[in-house]
Amino acid sequence: MTQVKLVSACLGGVLLIAGLVGILESGAADVFLEATRPDFQKISLGVAGIHNAGGPDWLGGRIEEVLKKDVKRSLVFDLVDLPSLGIQTPDIGNGMGAGSKVVFKQAAEKGVSVLVWGKAGLKEADKDADVNMEGFVYDSGSDEIVGGKRYAGSPSVVRLMAHRFADELVFRYTGEPGIARTKIAYVAEQGTARELFVMDYDGYDTRQLTADGFLNLMPQWSPDRRFLVFTAYRNRNTQDIDMIELATGKRWTVISLGGLNITPALSPDGNFLAFASSHEGNSEIYRLDTRTKAIQRLTVNPSGDLSPSWSPNGRELVFVSDRGGGPQLFLMGSDGSNIRRLTFEGDYNAAPVWSPRGNWIAYVCRTHKEYKLCVISPDGQKRMQLTTGPGVDDSPSWSPDGRHLVFSSTADGKSHIYMIDADGKDIERLTFQGTHNSSPSWSPAS
Amino acid sequence: MNKTFCAGAFVLVMCTALIGMPGCSKKSVQSGGDSQGMAKGGNSDSSRSGVGNFPDTGVQSGGGGLRGLDKNPSEEHVGSGTLMAKADPSSSAERQMEEVRAEQAASFAAGLRDVLFDYDSWTISEDGRQALSRDAEWMKSNSGALVKVEGHCDERGTSAYNLVLGEKRAKAARNYLVELGVGANRLSVVSYGKERPSCNEHAESCYQQNRRGHLALKTGK
Repeated sequence: MTQVKLVSACLGGVLLIAGLVGILESGAADVFLEATRPDFQKISLGVAGIHNAGGPDWLGGRIEEVLKKDVKRSLVFDLVDLPSLGIQTPDIGNGMGAGSKVVFKQAAEKGVSVLVWGKAGLKEADKDADVNMEGFVYDSGSDEIVGGKRYAGSPSVVRLMAHRFADELVFRYTGEPGIARTKIAYVAEQGTARELFVMDYDGYDTRQLTADGFLNLMPQWSPDRRFLVFTAYRNRNTQDIDMIELATGKRWTVISLGGLNITPALSPDGNFLAFASSHEGNSEIYRLDTRTKAIQRLTVNPSGDLSPSWSPNGRELVFVSDRGGGPQLFLMGSDGSNIRRLTFEGDYNAAPVWSPRGNWIAYVCRTHKEYKLCVISPDGQKRMQLTTGPGVDDSPSWSPDGRHLVFSSTADGKSHIYMIDADGKDIERLTFQGTHNSSPSWSPAS
Repeated sequence: MNKTFCAGAFVLVMCTALIGMPGCSKKSVQSGGDSQGMAKGGNSDSSRSGVGNFPDTGVQSGGGGLRGLDKNPSEEHVGSGTLMAKADPSSSAERQMEEVRAEQAASFAAGLRDVLFDYDSWTISEDGRQALSRDAEWMKSNSGALVKVEGHCDERGTSAYNLVLGEKRAKAARNYLVELGVGANRLSVVSYGKERPSCNEHAESCYQQNRRGHLALKTGK
């Protein structure tokens, strides 16, 4: 089941067959993750400049830089450096002129499948005027300009223009919405307080959401991206689960049962909130029906149960229980039925998150006294450690396309937020400010 | 003829889709939790205490606001995404910090001692029992005092599991105080996991200070 789903996300029929063959061949010791597996053929793409058409000097270059990073992070495209292939990148306008034919021919000869270029300028001579950006896409396979985009907006949104264009490229070639416009919610330390923040997926455009001077922990997005659910401390003494609306900053308490109320997670359809609460003694997992407000207890065990994460179809939950001594991952039906242990390797496995495609569960595993990221398939057959080295890695969260994880780590000393490809390659640090950044949660795609 | 009809129908469908699409930048902002949650919570459980109002958070429309590449693209306005409210600089932050300072000063003045724990453990050690015995004596001779037992952890391990571990530590300390004859109604427990460390170095000496049950004297509020 999961393998079929895994493959269906690949590009086209040829890849589908190639993917199936790859899976049949791959043994338990030889695990690759879908979009980054070696046989996944990325589409070669070159950016032939976002040229300045009036406006400040930085404008075109800024957009081009953001666009290139987005293209690279998409893992759908292989970003090629055109000058190093001997391909000139003059301003070819809308691509209709004679000069553009030369560039297209060079690109095709050098095996560049997609050529992207554009221009950016100010709508009027006034420096506060709106910015205009145009982007065009040439496909060397069909030898035609397949289309373009025109954006307008204030100078403060040029990064968003690049993100939008990048997502259009991903959408054009995969049918997926892309992740360049997604956001990451996280916790940052302010004095002794921990407050909620949201930033763009690339670490830019940070906004503070709470400022109550105590602890706000472990934010999770609602499926519609309008809200965060999180753990807060009322008067420092009681843990509640709160909700905040991003557009308005309006905040209110949704669970205040007494005791520990932590690790909220909304089901993919938004109809249930799973969470852990110790209001009946020890930490157990509960499920709130958000429409009827009926609460159902899912676990009954004298040890600690916590950290529920939904399978993408909403039928199962993975969670943490220390019923065997140390914390381990367990699976159960979303009604609490059929509880079974998933992890057996190591004496500490926690903070599980089910991938959006269903085929992997990422979690924190303790190996050689270090806390690192691992992934395991829901059938327990495949397991892989993604990070190594010193430092405490914590709170993994999947990108909506399932190709990346974001997590916190103390690898560089203080706790900061990092992005990593789902196969453990290409770690990118996202936060550089402050004394402590943790608990990242990646938003759904828009 | 057929072709023209198809093309016309296609344009019509696309137009309808475009009109119907809210677009990323103009995502309509609906009211928050209150009204929607109340309207939806129809059954008898809706008045249950401890559960607040819940908005509909399911995904209403897909599409992501992407309109596809176009050979003659029309201009799209890019707004600042979902408008995000800035944090309200509430007076609550100042008040909380004042109260924390007052609690700390009162606990220090009373000579209340922390109980320290081993790695991964919530068992009270011999040293811990001695510390708690003195704390219990103090509480018996100050019978009006209310104490909050805070469970803390070092930075190793996950935020989430450390909250559970911190609660186990706080409850172990609370239970031992009750065993020693302190009224349970004078003791409350709370876990701060690894979120309020007393020490920030990555070293065992520091980790040991952070693995603690801290007795905070409530300051009358």
